[in-house]
Amino acid sequence: MSDVERLIPYPDRDSVLWWAALARHEFVQQRCDDCGTWRWPPRAMCSGCGSFTWTWQPAAGRGTVISCIRTHHAFLPGFEAPYFTVFVSIDEQADIVMPGTWHHADPPQVGLRVQVFFDDIDVREGAPVTLVGWQPADD
Amino acid sequence: MGVGYTDFMKNSGVSTLALALQAIHAACDDAGISFKQLDGVATHRVGDSVQGAVVLNALGMVDPKFYVDQFGGGSASHTVVGQAAMAVATGVADYVVCWRAINARSEYRMGGTGRPPPDVVEFQYQTPYGYATPPQQFASMASAYMAKYGATREDFGRVAIRQRDNASRNERAMMRTPITMDDYLSSRWIVEPLCLFDCCLETDAAIAVVVTSAERARDLKHTPVLVSGAAWGGGHTLYSNHREDLTTSAAAAMSKRLYAMAGAGPEDIDVGCIYDAFTPLVLVQLEDYGFCAKGEAGAFVAEGTFPFNPHGGHLSAGYVHGINHIAEAVEQLRGNAGARQVAGAEVALSTGQSGYVAGSSSALILRKGEQS
Repeated sequence: MSDVERLIPYPDRDSVLWWAALARHEFVQQRCDDCGTWRWPPRAMCSGCGSFTWTWQPAAGRGTVISCIRTHHAFLPGFEAPYFTVFVSIDEQADIVMPGTWHHADPPQVGLRVQVFFDDIDVREGAPVTLVGWQPADD
Repeated sequence: MGVGYTDFMKNSGVSTLALALQAIHAACDDAGISFKQLDGVATHRVGDSVQGAVVLNALGMVDPKFYVDQFGGGSASHTVVGQAAMAVATGVADYVVCWRAINARSEYRMGGTGRPPPDVVEFQYQTPYGYATPPQQFASMASAYMAKYGATREDFGRVAIRQRDNASRNERAMMRTPITMDDYLSSRWIVEPLCLFDCCLETDAAIAVVVTSAERARDLKHTPVLVSGAAWGGGHTLYSNHREDLTTSAAAAMSKRLYAMAGAGPEDIDVGCIYDAFTPLVLVQLEDYGFCAKGEAGAFVAEGTFPFNPHGGHLSAGYVHGINHIAEAVEQLRGNAGARQVAGAEVALSTGQSGYVAGSSSALILRKGEQS
């Protein structure tokens, strides 16, 4: 990482527990208590059945790459270009697509099976911050 | 309709309020009305332009009958004109001016980091990842589209080359020197799979469009252009769930009701002004608006039978966030587009950003009317 401090997540009241779980290296997602639909990002209501009750449930942290990009132009501070960003459709529910950083020497490609990598980033002060990263699946 | 432009610039040196007022004044001149006849306003912005209320005050409008100041980028560009058309059709207002005014190069670059991010909760899942700017967002759909349909960089390149050639006939265009496939393929990466020529320009400019009733329009200066269909909505973002396929845009669902409202189909469209912040967006929309089947837009563009973006679009003429497509459609239908005129253009499709960021899109079908 460069010397310039990168932007860190700024959780809101819906997402603060999700980010806190990630910092403990737990890959949990909201799941509707009434109809079982998973949802991300965190929000108060199930768009499938309208229920306001849910449980934070562990997810397997596995999925399939549906898109990958390689940023060459340094748009944001704290990132050394070029770098990859991957978009992963998670196994629990294909319509949840989660962007993440990439953690393997080989470049990502669409269709690749992946598993989560807890990407602890350097922060100069405050609580530790973990992002969703992805790496090739080990099975 | 009346349309008014400022120049397309890299540094306007003036405020977005000044740009908006210049474009509005020019649009009123073009329509043949006084700005004092305006009784409604409609604009959209993403925290990057002057508030509608400030423009309204600067116009001296004390009792506006219609007021829309929508949060949104290119997705909303055609919504505001559609809403203005609803306002005049229902008698809420008589003359509504719609505009977009941006210093998108010199002040507020899209995804620029010198300012707080717009008021969008999803940014917390983007900026920490180094993923926040439009070229990155649209590279993600380009990657998925290439993987699913075998589209190639040459398919994207043909869009860029065609639009640059069109821009060479547009005196307003910022980039008029033709490019070749070699130029395209050898240009630097911005965000793989998108290179420099896949990306639109960044422009300081404003464009305004005056909307009034068909009856009043018949008595104004130019051949009237009629709003035959207007639609908005239709999609999801990465963050709304229900969207695991990035290769189909919000336009796929929305275009059906747009065509139904206009009583037209893709075969009736003489010219397309297709939202082109990035080249792959043009391909996906040619499919989702029904000009060709899914995955076939690359070959369709190579055929060269359908005229799109005769002005050069965002890629080569200038980036005014969608409203320049409406203005170009108006000029084409009036038949005063000069060297870039599409012969016999009577029906035009003009489209907004097709939904990858905001999740929604918007579009208009415009027809040539008759003067009284």
